[in-house]
Amino acid sequence: MRILVIEDDSEAAAYMAKGLREAGHVVEHAATGTDGLFMATSERWDSMIIDRMLPGLDGLAIIQALRAAGNTTPVLVLSALGKVDDRVRGLKAGGDDYLVKPYAFAELLARIEALSRRVSAAQPETRLKVEDLEMDLLARTVSRGGRDIDLQPREFRLLEYLMRYAGQVVTRTMLLENVWEYHFDPQTNLIDVHISRLRQKVDKDFDLPLIHTVRGAGYTLRAAR
Amino acid sequence: MRPDSLLRTTTFRLALSYLGIFTVSAMALLALVSWSTTMFIEWQVQETVEAEATGLSEIYHDRDLGGLSEIISQRMRQDVDGRTTYLLMGLDGRILAGNLKAWPAEVNDLLGWVRFRVLPLGGIGAGAEVLAHAYELADGYRLLVGRSLADAKRVKSAINRALGWGLALTILLGVVGGYFTSRHMLQRVEEMSRTARRIFGGDMSQRMHLSGTDDEFDSLAESFNEMMDELERLLEGIRTVSDNIAHDLRTPLNRLRSRIDLVLLGAPDCDGYRRTLEETLAEADNLLATFSAILTISHAESAARLERFETIDPARLAGDVVELYEPLAEEKGIRLHCLAQTGLSLKADRHLLFQALANLVDNAVKYTPAAGEVSVSVGAASGRLNVAVSDSGPGIPEDSRLKVLDRFVRLDSTRSTPGNGLGLSLVQAVARLHNARLCLDDNHPGLVVRLEFPVA
Repeated sequence: MRILVIEDDSEAAAYMAKGLREAGHVVEHAATGTDGLFMATSERWDSMIIDRMLPGLDGLAIIQALRAAGNTTPVLVLSALGKVDDRVRGLKAGGDDYLVKPYAFAELLARIEALSRRVSAAQPETRLKVEDLEMDLLARTVSRGGRDIDLQPREFRLLEYLMRYAGQVVTRTMLLENVWEYHFDPQTNLIDVHISRLRQKVDKDFDLPLIHTVRGAGYTLRAAR
Repeated sequence: MRPDSLLRTTTFRLALSYLGIFTVSAMALLALVSWSTTMFIEWQVQETVEAEATGLSEIYHDRDLGGLSEIISQRMRQDVDGRTTYLLMGLDGRILAGNLKAWPAEVNDLLGWVRFRVLPLGGIGAGAEVLAHAYELADGYRLLVGRSLADAKRVKSAINRALGWGLALTILLGVVGGYFTSRHMLQRVEEMSRTARRIFGGDMSQRMHLSGTDDEFDSLAESFNEMMDELERLLEGIRTVSDNIAHDLRTPLNRLRSRIDLVLLGAPDCDGYRRTLEETLAEADNLLATFSAILTISHAESAARLERFETIDPARLAGDVVELYEPLAEEKGIRLHCLAQTGLSLKADRHLLFQALANLVDNAVKYTPAAGEVSVSVGAASGRLNVAVSDSGPGIPEDSRLKVLDRFVRLDSTRSTPGNGLGLSLVQAVARLHNARLCLDDNHPGLVVRLEFPVA
């Protein structure tokens, strides 16, 4: 993926760029808002990471300018402002996701990769399939290897999210925000318990495990390699 | 008190302008009284003159010229004070009777009302103003009957004098009264500003003095004192937090530092580095979690979130929390259930309330031993909406129940379990934001934490 990083803190930008390159992406960096807007409009990018507070031009203003010009490149907004209001403001301006500083790199990577997936899965799907695991979104049924799996509504949504982003890492925060739809900090390993429950139903009786824990990051659903 | 500062007070200026308005209206009133009195007296004089003239013309009709002259002379003798003026003039301008030497110039040939000044018969003094009426009798004789206005003048000037004194007294009383009223007000204002300056100087315990009269100053002082109480509470909170941050965050930071220090002192060891880095990362994550909890609490306390309130279904919220914690409870062998009355609604910040309820359930599950029970209930009673989390754990001793709401406070019995001591502080901040009452009670056995929301 070609990723544009607009961030004025050079150390933070270097850290981000290094990590993203190691994950196999092509990264360019702009240090001011005006340079960033110029680079964003003059080349084609798969996604952008834009800091909210920038010298020259504010991050949200860049996004608004891009959206007004019909540019739909997915944007991840980075900010030290972490209140729900700030988040809402960032998303209203046209950002696709919002990440609060300080963040774990795994979180950033998972989110930026999920963003590009969101664009490619623009048309509504009615069936999801990973290996022999199948999900019917209309009938709300799940089966694996032809055997039906009985899931609670929340487990269904959890598995659905994992399957939509199959092969990618999803973090615990992403699951909380998208499956439970609350912004809050769980004090305990709540999500892990939910995942292990889901594993009991999806993986236990099968030879090939599909749900994997990614250390220090989150989970991924894919055939083991 | 300096007199110039008194002159500059609003009260005194207000008193002065009221005095000005009052003086002008009093003067207008006095002018009206004086004018109408004069009019009345002159009207009376005219009446008298007309009655006299009517009488004389009847006499002339009955007894002819001679009789009239005789009567006039007789009347003049009776009128010792010389209040009445008579003059009877023949066709050739000869004076036939009367106490004037000549037909007055002001009268000319006109008939009707006239005013003129006459010298008294003795010829001494300024002479009195006379209001007179000239008549033409049959056969061309002319008769002038007048009456002195000296009495009217005296009455008028007496009234004016009285009114003038009254006005002067009014102004004097107004100035003196204004001075004392404003001095009284100024004293209270100065006292308030002295108190404010003392507070500004750092003595937060200072409060405004109440006079006990329940007046505007008292109500101002009361509001001010309430504001100071709240401010002192907030400042105290900030002070406690910064003390606690210094203490509670320094410990893990120090641990972090010494861990890195130690591993750098030892021989290079790739696996050891990796392990240390992982531990360090976990420690840093804990620190960040603590920071974010502190920030969430201060956001909840700042009340700026009010704009984000929405109408929520408390039963659904409670159900979501229970559903989220159910697997964790099951893993610990704890029964977690939800008893929620449906059909209720609440104005709330959805995310913060969820966080608060999650903290309560988290605590309950954490401290309740296996085979215990935790329940979340939602219900309405006596005009309040209650959300309660109860458990069958060890509970909290009564004397510690208020203490655990403070930030970073952890009871000795819980030091070994993970946690940052901010969970209940956040619940309390969220409760305060929603105007809810937070109570901790004995559940016999265990603890019940109740949030009582006012129903709008």
